Amino acid sequence: MPLWERRRSALVLVGLTVFHLLLISLQVPQGTQKSLFEKGVFFLFSPIQRAATLTVRGIGSVWNGYFDLRGVRRENQKLKKENFFLKQDLRFLEDRLQLAQSEAQLKASLAAFEGTIVAARVIGVDSTNPHQSIVIDKGSFDGVAKDMAVCDRNGALVGRTIGPVGFKEAMVQLVTDKDSSVSVKSEVDGLTGAVTGRSTEICDLRYVLASGSGGHIGDELRTTGADRIYPAGIRVGAIQSVEADPATPIFRRIVVKPYFGFDTIDVVAVLTKGPGGGG
Amino acid sequence: MRETVGGDVVRAFLGTIVAVLVYSVAGAGAPALLVVFNAFSVVVLYFSIRRGEIFGALLGTMCGLVQDAFSLGVFGVGGLTKTLLGFWTGYISRRIDVAPLARNALFMLVMSVVEMVLWVLITALVRLKPVNLQGGLVFIQPVVTAVVGSSLIALERWIQARSSRGA
Repeated sequence: MPLWERRRSALVLVGLTVFHLLLISLQVPQGTQKSLFEKGVFFLFSPIQRAATLTVRGIGSVWNGYFDLRGVRRENQKLKKENFFLKQDLRFLEDRLQLAQSEAQLKASLAAFEGTIVAARVIGVDSTNPHQSIVIDKGSFDGVAKDMAVCDRNGALVGRTIGPVGFKEAMVQLVTDKDSSVSVKSEVDGLTGAVTGRSTEICDLRYVLASGSGGHIGDELRTTGADRIYPAGIRVGAIQSVEADPATPIFRRIVVKPYFGFDTIDVVAVLTKGPGGGG
Repeated sequence: MRETVGGDVVRAFLGTIVAVLVYSVAGAGAPALLVVFNAFSVVVLYFSIRRGEIFGALLGTMCGLVQDAFSLGVFGVGGLTKTLLGFWTGYISRRIDVAPLARNALFMLVMSVVEMVLWVLITALVRLKPVNLQGGLVFIQPVVTAVVGSSLIALERWIQARSSRGA
């Protein structure tokens, strides 16, 4: 009897194990870099995910539509959509007003944001940790590309698009992901640092010197735009606690609570222009 | 249905799609569910017990890689742990009797715990960082996986018993 017949199970196990070990070895130490193979699997299965979510939503929608007054429901949906865009516009107008030094600068800023928001629905969350990434139902066909800022319905920063970007789907790295880093500045006293995630509900404000002043509980943090991914002025979160860091005494340990939550990201706004979007 | 290699491949693919559907629906409804419930593990356990170690290993590879594709973790860690889960579940279930419901649930629980331990160890080794255990919530996952997996098998037996009585 040939070896394959006698040891078929063991050979399959060894073959698959070696395959996975090679696959893992190829990525270390990159970690979050997406390989061509991984992109391929995402491209293959993300439409299934999209179809599943749309089907479930569709069934729910038909069910609701049957009982609701159809005209009122349609109008409600239209108003909700308008409200979403108005909220986004208002948020950016406020941000631009605060940042702008002159009328000319303000006009230029407003023109830059015109028609650059793509509304997207969240169709999935990270399969191993919900605080790392989400999948949205807009992709390259809708003008979405890698490194575009994503905000929730209230204009708070959610994260940025990362590869792979499918034709109608894209993955978004959340600001709460442990590999995420956002350059921020305190609105109160100008304290600057980088908000990094922990893959939990809260984040850290890193690289703030212990000898420096500023940074109080409740202070609002906004993006600076210095990282060349997120446009300046987007609200990120508020400082939750400030304490000394025994591990690295030269820095302070500042915990930040992001503004976005899973209850506010059923619909998100992708900013297709800006530092990351190439606008 | 005749048990051919082609048939098994189709079943494995369908099983993976079912896991993606369940994962998508659960994730869209309540993201916290994904911490305590792993649809891919349920599919691997269910089919490995039914079809044996080779089928289990191949299905584990497919389900694990699909799970990895929807995560920012290192691509292949889920694939490796689910391959081992599928193989050893299929292998052991061919050598000991896991047919009684309570034993079946206990077996699935043990295999799920082994998978979780493997995943935590490999992730910590690859990332060289402590793994986020979601405040211990992640340890509920093997229990939920075992309950759902054994319930599926119990449901299948119940349906078969009903249809055979009907015939």
